[in-house]
Amino acid sequence: MKRYVLGEFGEPEDCVEALRKLHEAGVQGLDAYSPYPLHGSDEALELPRSKVPLVALTGGVFGALGGYVMQAWMNGVDFAINVGNRPPHGFWTNIPITFESGVLLSVLSIFFSAIFYFFALPRPYHPVFESEQFRTASLDAFWVSIETEEEEPVADLEEKLRSTGARRVHTVVESA
Amino acid sequence: MDERSLPDANLPPFEGGRSLLLGGAAAGAAGLLLTLIGGFIAPKAALYSYLIAFDYWLGLSLGALALVMAHNVAGARWNVVIRRLGETIAAAVPLFIVLFVPLLLGARYVWIWIDPPQELAKETLRLLQYKKPYLNFNFFLARAVIYFVVWSALALLLRAWSVRQDESGEALLTRRQRKLSAPGLVLLILTATFASFDWLMSLQPAWFSTIFGLYVFTGGFVGSLALLCLIVTGLRSGDSALGKIISADHQHNLGKLLLAFVCFWAYMAFSQYMLIWAGNLPDEVTWIVARSRGVWRPVGILILLGHFLVPFFLLLSRDLKRSRQGLAAVAAWMLVIHYIDLYWIVMPASSLDGLGLHWTHLTAFIGVGGASVAAAVFLLRGVRPLPVRDPYLEDSLRYVQP
Repeated sequence: MKRYVLGEFGEPEDCVEALRKLHEAGVQGLDAYSPYPLHGSDEALELPRSKVPLVALTGGVFGALGGYVMQAWMNGVDFAINVGNRPPHGFWTNIPITFESGVLLSVLSIFFSAIFYFFALPRPYHPVFESEQFRTASLDAFWVSIETEEEEPVADLEEKLRSTGARRVHTVVESA
Repeated sequence: MDERSLPDANLPPFEGGRSLLLGGAAAGAAGLLLTLIGGFIAPKAALYSYLIAFDYWLGLSLGALALVMAHNVAGARWNVVIRRLGETIAAAVPLFIVLFVPLLLGARYVWIWIDPPQELAKETLRLLQYKKPYLNFNFFLARAVIYFVVWSALALLLRAWSVRQDESGEALLTRRQRKLSAPGLVLLILTATFASFDWLMSLQPAWFSTIFGLYVFTGGFVGSLALLCLIVTGLRSGDSALGKIISADHQHNLGKLLLAFVCFWAYMAFSQYMLIWAGNLPDEVTWIVARSRGVWRPVGILILLGHFLVPFFLLLSRDLKRSRQGLAAVAAWMLVIHYIDLYWIVMPASSLDGLGLHWTHLTAFIGVGGASVAAAVFLLRGVRPLPVRDPYLEDSLRYVQP
């Protein structure tokens, strides 16, 4: 059964500082919850760079290529129409659609990868919701959570959280 | 709660840049003098070189003016630490009133419509007669006066209010800058559009393109962003007090703006090209035909690659925008390719042989450039290098990338 040791902080700087100290002390399974993006939390946890730009670039490149190939094939090969004797395959007139399909696929890949991969939605339940106090994470407080499988380190982790200045410490156990 | 310590931004008035001021003034005087000599030897080549240099450096000033006003209108806060640099570059505009005089004196060598040679095609002469109410020297001069009055008034007022705030700290001055900047942007874009019609588009008076003004202006705007990137990366690499205040996050924002306006420039250039290409009408294609045949073809391809494709993909990188050397290299290249772009706009209209390369291109560029750099450094000396009592200064110091 997973256990989540939660600590509440009143100020964003204290929360980031606690994250940094715990990460330096080698604590595993750290996470942060905050009502708004916390500057410095990624650096404190030494998280790897976000993969979102890479997803956006890949989507954009495929969208642009797909858009161009679609037009080149349809106008130039599959159903060539002579309009005022212009070349059926006009490179420059294909560019606007190429650009737009590139943007479209780039945005859609960010959106869907964010929802289904990065946020792992749909996810109607998470054990930390068991804690009544945890509601302040979406109001005015900053929470650090430490995930652990075993029971023994819980007391130690709670103590560590208190020593970094958490004003409330609380542990939730994943219900079976 | 431990407050993150902010750097002390209360810098004393700037007193450095002495060698840059003297060097710029000397290079400016020498370059202008040599160009003048070139003007007596080969008037047409020298005046075309001078026109490119004039539009290049003026475009950088106007671009900085547009950036300062856009930030004022939007109520931007991150830019406060670099705003004085933009205000200073913009306030060099009055210098160009003096630098415009040689173009007026040699106008008949540059603009064919002032004194149309009778060997032109009958249709062209008739067209020029038809355009006479707009394209005549007196109205041309009157319009130039209007442009310079508008630009100088905007640039000098904004800078004066900002400098006054350094001592008085009145928040009212911030409000005043914002209120002037909103109509100022409209006036600037309109006057810059008409100025590009007058000075660059009318080099081929039979040709017209409504997007041309924005195309030229955006080129200058990209140039001024590149110039700011170069200054900021330079300051951050050196040990100046201002360089310690400007963070990688501020530099990153300038890099993002550079990326955005490289794209915007490409959008303008493409919109002009694609519509003319698809329309394929005789009186529209002349401009493109003159610039995509013979020696001008590789130049056009170089601009497509060097002004858009390569910098676009390079600037996508977050690491490059935050690296001092990386952003400085791209910014320096953008300043080079912007000159090539203007060269490609102007020179094919000159009917000089080949690329029309002439030594006055170098002297005019250094002459006008040296004079404008000296003017900007002169304006910066004796005032604070950043708006020390701007109400948003602390927000700017605290700025981090989201």
